[in-house]
Amino acid sequence: MEDIRILISGDRAVSVQMGSVINREINRRVLMLKAELEKYPIEGVTETVPAYSSLMVHYRPEVIRYRELSDEIRKRSLTMGGIAEEKKRIVEIPVCYGGEFGPDLEYCAELEHTTPEEIIRKHTQHDHYVYMLGFAPGQPYSARFEEPYGFKRRETARLSAPAGSAVVQQDLSDIIPFDQPCGWNIIGRTPCEICDYTREEPFLLRAGDWIRHRSVSPEEYREIRRQVRAKEWKPVVIE
Amino acid sequence: MGILVIDPGLLTTVQDGGRFGFQQYGVTPSGPMDERAFALANLLTGNAEGMAELEMTLYGGRYLFDADAVIALTGADMKPLLNGEVFPMYRAVSVKAGDELALGFAQSGCRAYLSVAGGMDISPVMGSASTLTGKHLGGIEGRKLQKNDRIAFAASISELPSQDKMVLPREVYPAKEAVLRVVAGPQDDSFSREEFRKFFWYSAVITDENDRQGCRLKLERPIKHIGDGNIISDGIAFGSIQIPPNGQPIIMMADRQTTGGYPKIGTVISVDLSKLAQARPGMRLRFIRVSIELAQELYLKELRERIRIKESFH
Repeated sequence: MEDIRILISGDRAVSVQMGSVINREINRRVLMLKAELEKYPIEGVTETVPAYSSLMVHYRPEVIRYRELSDEIRKRSLTMGGIAEEKKRIVEIPVCYGGEFGPDLEYCAELEHTTPEEIIRKHTQHDHYVYMLGFAPGQPYSARFEEPYGFKRRETARLSAPAGSAVVQQDLSDIIPFDQPCGWNIIGRTPCEICDYTREEPFLLRAGDWIRHRSVSPEEYREIRRQVRAKEWKPVVIE
Repeated sequence: MGILVIDPGLLTTVQDGGRFGFQQYGVTPSGPMDERAFALANLLTGNAEGMAELEMTLYGGRYLFDADAVIALTGADMKPLLNGEVFPMYRAVSVKAGDELALGFAQSGCRAYLSVAGGMDISPVMGSASTLTGKHLGGIEGRKLQKNDRIAFAASISELPSQDKMVLPREVYPAKEAVLRVVAGPQDDSFSREEFRKFFWYSAVITDENDRQGCRLKLERPIKHIGDGNIISDGIAFGSIQIPPNGQPIIMMADRQTTGGYPKIGTVISVDLSKLAQARPGMRLRFIRVSIELAQELYLKELRERIRIKESFH
């Protein structure tokens, strides 16, 4: 186990580095430290932000100074309880693959010398682990641990990919919450809103979740879309 | 009853103290670019810390009051006029229904703050009135102000008890060059000692790409990384100085992304962010390295000063 390193990020934040590679073990330790800081709060800490292998801790120096905060974080990193038994929270995300919703599906199949069905199978058969949220509100950085694709990002990025696009490269998979630039291949689109400020729970996903993509037909896509618009749609969450 | 927008200016948004607690979901805190001018405007109108104000950028615009109010204006000097007469900045001023406040182009500084005693009636989204225009969040429909927008006052206050005392000295902003103090890290080890020192030797110029998200700089000699200029994405603080692979620094501001994958050579200290928020394209920046202890000492001193001001207004 690597020692934690507490890096100074100005006078109101520290970046607690829990490791120097991207893997689930280290990410789980990041989330454990986050949980520990929520269970046993340090006075003056305003919020924490998990990333792949680090936890940013924002704080108020008028309540706690850097040295004291570092000592407290270190203590909690040593005593933090094991989330020994992993509680897996799986969020099902319906995706309509190919066609107008997944303009790059055929191209990805060509790159892999396989069929579009095989690209979809890999995406739906394995759950994807959400390391962190970032870039845009509610946007997951997720990956699977089996059968990665061989291709990376596109040579030229799209200036705007539609909200809901399921975009992929290698073992990585993202859902784009807003119309935004994207350099990855788009294989499908989800009818659900992964970020909706008007919902009581604006964000569908959180760090540490698993995403299970479910292939839906264009008809089902439109029906779910209708439910989403009417605020009738509820996500399927398996705990 | 409140403010009717006659001319919204270049970029005027509603900002409160910021939207905190949602960075873990990728939501930037937003809030004022110049936390000091923002805090002083609320103090000058007797408001609680962090209440919503208007942040105007470079060119302020025109605003009609359709109710009496007490207002204060801080930050950039946009030569404000009330009904054509010079409007004094940095003090609590009573305005009447029918008065029009007009702000021109900033003569000094970049951003002005308008506070109203009792605050503005803006429905909070995720606990905050702050506007994040890029993500259509908060403020007025998640966008900058438009002509004919109406902003209602949260209270009806036409005079404050000790209004005559509510005056502060004006801030003076540098026009050509600003010196910013910087705490090293979190990724100062992504640079050789020489490249790290170079960052403090040479001045940088603020480019036109200078917005609420980040302030992009141009160095004559870009900073070289030890590696390829990428790190495993980690959190970003207000004032973090990212060095992307091209070696040209980007200082992350109020609408910054919550995380990012470029090494951050240092972070501008909190008390100097005001100078940066008021700096304009073409200006030169110089950086001086200070310790975390000094940075926090200076920040606490500033907070104590605000408490002193608040007490002096009672």
